[in-house]
Amino acid sequence: MAKKEDLILLGLSESKAAETLKNAKLTETIGTIIASAKQAGEINKPRGNLLYQLATKLKPQVAPSAPLVVKYIMNDGIKTEPQLSAAIEYLLSNTVKGIEVSAFEKSCGVGVVVTIDDIEDAVTKVIGEHREKIVAERYSFPVGKLLGELRALLPWADGAVTKKEVDLRFLELLGPKTAEDLAPKKKEKKAEAPKAAKDTAKTNGTSSSSDNKKKEAASTVEADFSEGAETMDELLRTRAHFHKVGENFKTDGYVTTPKTAELLKAHVAAVGGKVVTRFPPEPNGVLHIGHAKAININFGYAKAMGGVCNLRFDDTNPEKEEEKFFTAIEDIVNWLGYNPARVTHSSDNFEQLYLWAVKLIEKGHAFVCHQKVEEMRGFEVQLSPWRERPIEENLQLFEDMKHGKFDEGEATLRLKLTLEEGKVDPVAYRIKYVPHHRTGDKWCIYPTYDYTHCLCDSIENITHSLCTKEFQSRRSSYYWLCNALDIYCPVQWEYGRLNVNYTVVSKRKILKLITTKTVNDWDDPRLFTLTALRRRGIPSEAINRFVAKLGLTMSQMVIDPHVLDATVRDYLNVHAPRTMAVLDGLKLTIENFAELNLPSTADVPDFPSDPSDPRKHSVSVDKEIFIEKTDYKPDDSDKSFRRLTPKQSVGLKHIGLVLRFVKEIKDAEGHVTEVVVKAEKLTEGEKPKAFIHWVAKPVSAEVRLYDRLFKSKNPEDAQAVPGGFLSDINTDSLTVLYNALIDRSIAASKEYDRFQFERIGFFCVDKDSSDAKLVFNRTVMLKDGGAAGGK
Amino acid sequence: MSVNKELQQRYSEYSAALDQAALLTRLITAMEKGELTDELLEHTPELAEVKKLNDKLKYRKSILEKSIAEQAAKNKKNGVKASAPTDSKSTAPADKKAKNDGKTGGAAPKQSKKVDYVTVEDFGSSILGRLQKLFKTAIADAFPGLDLPLLLAETPNPQFGDYQCTSAMPIAAKLKSTGVNKKPGDVAKEIEAKLPTNVDFIEKVNVLPAGFMNIFLNKDYICKQISQLASKGITLPKVAKKRVLVDFSSPNIAKEMHVGHLRSTIIGDSICRLFEAVGFDVLRVNHIGDWGTQFGMLIAHLYDRFPDFLKKLPDIADLQAFYKESKKRFDEDEVFKKRAYECVVKLQSHEEEIVKAWNTICDVSKKYNQIVYDHLDIKIKDVGESFYQDKMVELIKWIKENKPDMIREEEGRLIMFPSECTVPLTVVKSDGGFTYDTSDLAALKYRMLEEKVDWNIYVVDAGQNLHLESIYAAGRDLEWYDINIHRVEHVGFGLVLGEDRKKFKTRSGETVRLLDLLSEGVKRATEKLKEKGREAVMTEEELAAARDAVAFGCVKYADLSHTRTQDYVFSFDRMLDDRGNTAVYLLYAYARIRSIVRTSGITDAQLAEYVSKNPILPLNHPAELKLAKQLLKLSDCILQVLDSLMLHQMCDYVYQLATLFHDFYNECYVIEKKDGEPPVVHFHRLALCEVTANVISTCFKILGIREVPKM
Repeated sequence: MAKKEDLILLGLSESKAAETLKNAKLTETIGTIIASAKQAGEINKPRGNLLYQLATKLKPQVAPSAPLVVKYIMNDGIKTEPQLSAAIEYLLSNTVKGIEVSAFEKSCGVGVVVTIDDIEDAVTKVIGEHREKIVAERYSFPVGKLLGELRALLPWADGAVTKKEVDLRFLELLGPKTAEDLAPKKKEKKAEAPKAAKDTAKTNGTSSSSDNKKKEAASTVEADFSEGAETMDELLRTRAHFHKVGENFKTDGYVTTPKTAELLKAHVAAVGGKVVTRFPPEPNGVLHIGHAKAININFGYAKAMGGVCNLRFDDTNPEKEEEKFFTAIEDIVNWLGYNPARVTHSSDNFEQLYLWAVKLIEKGHAFVCHQKVEEMRGFEVQLSPWRERPIEENLQLFEDMKHGKFDEGEATLRLKLTLEEGKVDPVAYRIKYVPHHRTGDKWCIYPTYDYTHCLCDSIENITHSLCTKEFQSRRSSYYWLCNALDIYCPVQWEYGRLNVNYTVVSKRKILKLITTKTVNDWDDPRLFTLTALRRRGIPSEAINRFVAKLGLTMSQMVIDPHVLDATVRDYLNVHAPRTMAVLDGLKLTIENFAELNLPSTADVPDFPSDPSDPRKHSVSVDKEIFIEKTDYKPDDSDKSFRRLTPKQSVGLKHIGLVLRFVKEIKDAEGHVTEVVVKAEKLTEGEKPKAFIHWVAKPVSAEVRLYDRLFKSKNPEDAQAVPGGFLSDINTDSLTVLYNALIDRSIAASKEYDRFQFERIGFFCVDKDSSDAKLVFNRTVMLKDGGAAGGK
Repeated sequence: MSVNKELQQRYSEYSAALDQAALLTRLITAMEKGELTDELLEHTPELAEVKKLNDKLKYRKSILEKSIAEQAAKNKKNGVKASAPTDSKSTAPADKKAKNDGKTGGAAPKQSKKVDYVTVEDFGSSILGRLQKLFKTAIADAFPGLDLPLLLAETPNPQFGDYQCTSAMPIAAKLKSTGVNKKPGDVAKEIEAKLPTNVDFIEKVNVLPAGFMNIFLNKDYICKQISQLASKGITLPKVAKKRVLVDFSSPNIAKEMHVGHLRSTIIGDSICRLFEAVGFDVLRVNHIGDWGTQFGMLIAHLYDRFPDFLKKLPDIADLQAFYKESKKRFDEDEVFKKRAYECVVKLQSHEEEIVKAWNTICDVSKKYNQIVYDHLDIKIKDVGESFYQDKMVELIKWIKENKPDMIREEEGRLIMFPSECTVPLTVVKSDGGFTYDTSDLAALKYRMLEEKVDWNIYVVDAGQNLHLESIYAAGRDLEWYDINIHRVEHVGFGLVLGEDRKKFKTRSGETVRLLDLLSEGVKRATEKLKEKGREAVMTEEELAAARDAVAFGCVKYADLSHTRTQDYVFSFDRMLDDRGNTAVYLLYAYARIRSIVRTSGITDAQLAEYVSKNPILPLNHPAELKLAKQLLKLSDCILQVLDSLMLHQMCDYVYQLATLFHDFYNECYVIEKKDGEPPVVHFHRLALCEVTANVISTCFKILGIREVPKM
């Protein structure tokens, strides 16, 4: 253990030293480093600095080689940070193969002396090559690029000296910075993303923590998608800093054994040097928005790296699996645009897993336990009294488990291992007297997730086992198990889970919503299952882009639904053709229609926002038209109302007519049933305040408007919603309009056809549609909430 | 929007009501048809729970069956012939036993071969036995040389017939392993083709595509059999006669019988009764501990306490106390100790007076034991250790002459390593004395070679297993018997536990004297009968008979009804409960059936006439048929127990019979009384009552329970 004086000796400030002391692990490393350094000589400031760098950068798997580096720091063989980095990199790359001192010296430039002259020459050369551009771009020229080139020329030169030299030359060449140089740089890219970014995406680092104070603080942070990218491909190529295939040992925490080198060699040969990932859902429910991230990261990373990704059904719990989930999951993966290289099942490996379990018992790594589940859970768990039973007995009892001699819960097979979180001896096998949909009645012992997952990864030669952060605590057991069996050990990488506010995604809870008839099925568009989102009309491209924008952060994020909506809107705006539809119609009769001499149809562009887009459709024009009831007000008292009133005229979109009020026609009860208007052609001079949408000779359709299903941000938070999530239902989450009026041109649409109903929002044809009547789901509203139909 | 809203609301109300109505219709249909649809299960959580449990049990059963088949295949490969495990019940206790052995270390050398010792000459009314024979033959005809155990059992669900044969699946699997691909369904069809047609008791055999063969019994056959049982009385299956020795009870002289002797006495007696019932020649042998060094001190003490014992039988009220006194003197008084040794020497040289003293002590002890045996209706002959004294000397001589290689001398002892035994038997101690090993070997030799018994059954607690199996192994090595002909078997049993699940003790921690226990039983039985108000309706003699039947019957039945090889908890409260599987329940049930017949006003002659005129009883009600089928299973039960010597199987049988009778009596009038009309007697049902009572009576006789016509 290092003491404070030691740290100060390394050049740390008083406060920094105190801070460092809190990190027990680092302090310990520093302690050993200083101990060996003190034997070699006096620690001066530059040496101290390097030693400290060494302590912070050293990865545990190369810690045994630290004294070698210390030796070279102390004899001034390693004098600069680049040298140190190269030294550590060398150790990391070769710890598995074996370290040779001469190669080590060469790799980090021991004994290489770089003089000021060398640096000056190199800078002259590099600046000479870029001279023209530098003069043109002046100080906005990327200096980093130059420094990079210099590093390649003189790898062991002191970076600070080089930088100083470059700055000096710039000054010589360009003179001091002018006012223009100091002005903020203009952004080169057109600001298109910020639009969405401004949609106040709120991320929340701690999510469902019941600590309210913390939550408030966290939720004020505005997500700016700064970690994200426009596409998954870009994100994973630029932001995913995973290890190279076969260099598993370079990652933090990877545990090597004498067999690692040999196993990795075989592994690299097996995968042909290509990335292999997998998406491993349990087939016991449908996928939700959180899975979209997992699918995108696994499939996306493989795609970006030119590798392959498997779809593996983690079907180790026969009680909860149903055939329909398998097909649904595969369907969704395809929908998101990915094709699995192979579809595998954990159950394919049951025989191998069983043989390995026997091997673990034989090696003394596993035992049969009779503790009850309750005894294994909770705090201060008693160690199993069966932990030390003889191997022979364990083998016999495990056979007995397999042969059905124990009742469910009477015996489990447990691994002798303590997890990071303090959980002791995780269960590897438990008894279930339930047939498995793939292995039939072959087994009554089934492996657990903890046991199965890593071994199946190993069998499939997965290069990167990507999973959400909850599994970080299982990483050590993952590595332990593969190593205990002397099989190839993949690397587990974690990323933050994606959660969405105002919804629930757990299978059990959705099922409850279905059985209580709160929603209709797993794909009810108010849910955030992927089938529900698809049915609501959200395109898979928008979902993928949404995930890409969120980036690869480690923290768990909780996103408000409108952040997704914004991405969807951006996508649909340029992909869904516009049409006019009236949700709640009011009949208008144009009394002078005949005089206007209008054609019976008019052409309307599909994408009016892009004048270069030639696509268009034609709409009927008639004496009788329908407008939204909300676009007409029978009195003029509301000055902010800009549409049709008895005194105020209004324009009709796309056909250049202006309507003026003539009279109202009312029914016996006094309700307005019709408004008679007079039309005139739009002239340059007098423009009405607003233009509204309309339909003529329309077709009736059903339109379903959705709102949030829950009133609270986190319906599962027991503090905010003490009555449970079912008490938090928004009873007005679904509004059905049975007599919306759509234009005849879209009457023949098919399921999933999407449109922008002008001034209202984006809509998609639902599967409930029949030949007689189309049904539309509102996918998202327009940004301003739409002209009508909203709340 | 308001019109729209209203429309929406009305529409959803309407469709909800419609859905609800349709749902209820579906549920009712499903219930009527007995279909467990998902929807039905969803609305009946208890049913769903039970179904889930049932599914799990079925699944476990299939796993266990597969494991047994695997093990059988493995055994066969290793040259071990498997017993025919028809159900998992018979294997479970074996496992338990195996585990116990494991704990004590050093597995006993088991007779490696399971032999069918019971040769059935006539199955009687047994259906299962006949079915097994038919199917075994048919399978051997259709698929010769496969040698797989026959899987044939009763079906729990009448939908699948009365019995079900599932042998087609393992046969198909076996064929596959030899390269012949046949679906189980086709295998089953081929077996069916080999079954003889027109078997009187089979109505039909349904072959399902999955390979199940569902066997439906012929109703007329059942009705005919019952009629015969009613007219000719109960007949048991005919089994080839054997000479059988049963070694049981075996207390020690000079120590009172305690609860530890209870199980051996009850189980041994019941096994004897079973053998006698099927016509065996039975030797009931009490291998009492009446020899040994402890007699020296007892005799010496007798001289001091009762100097005139030669003239008058001493009045030793408490033999236990007498034993303790002498032991105390033996331990503390050197002079007395010397005298005691002298007595031993004198006894061994058969000095007349000393032998008389020894006899006196034995008589006192036996007198006490006889009280216990009288209470429990047990007959037994003493052939104790003293009987083998000379025979042990002969034994050593015999071995030295005939099998000198079997023994060897080690540190002055003569020892013997029977085959597959890790612990040797000590035949002669270094001081020239003999051990239990010697006397048990002498007894085995005498029984096999001189008594020439076919079966030699030892009813001894499970803890002695290792010792006995070593003796048997030695007997086999010495070629005293042939396991293919002679059945030499240890019938082991577990401990009697107190309600605290520890070894049964008195409150002060002493072993419970058997006599005290039985007295307590009588006291409790009296209370029970009083509580039921029996003394008001019964005569004094009837009451006394009922009391003893209850008191001793309940103790016996509680012991017999538990799986023999397992420990059981002794609880008067439980054994005197008149609900559940207890003697009290059965005695009540029996008395009730008898009283139905008695009070019907129909004479035996009238009933006999009816039966003779109706060789096929008109049994039609499902409850009648269910009861009838159970009655016919008596023979199966007898054959099963003859093989397993597990009497709880018979208890289960008779208990099930009593409950089925109960169901029958609840659903079917035997005597129907209508207002204003004379009562109608349903003769066929009365006959059913009579047969049921007779079958129960038969079981009572085997279990050793006194029946009383009135309770």
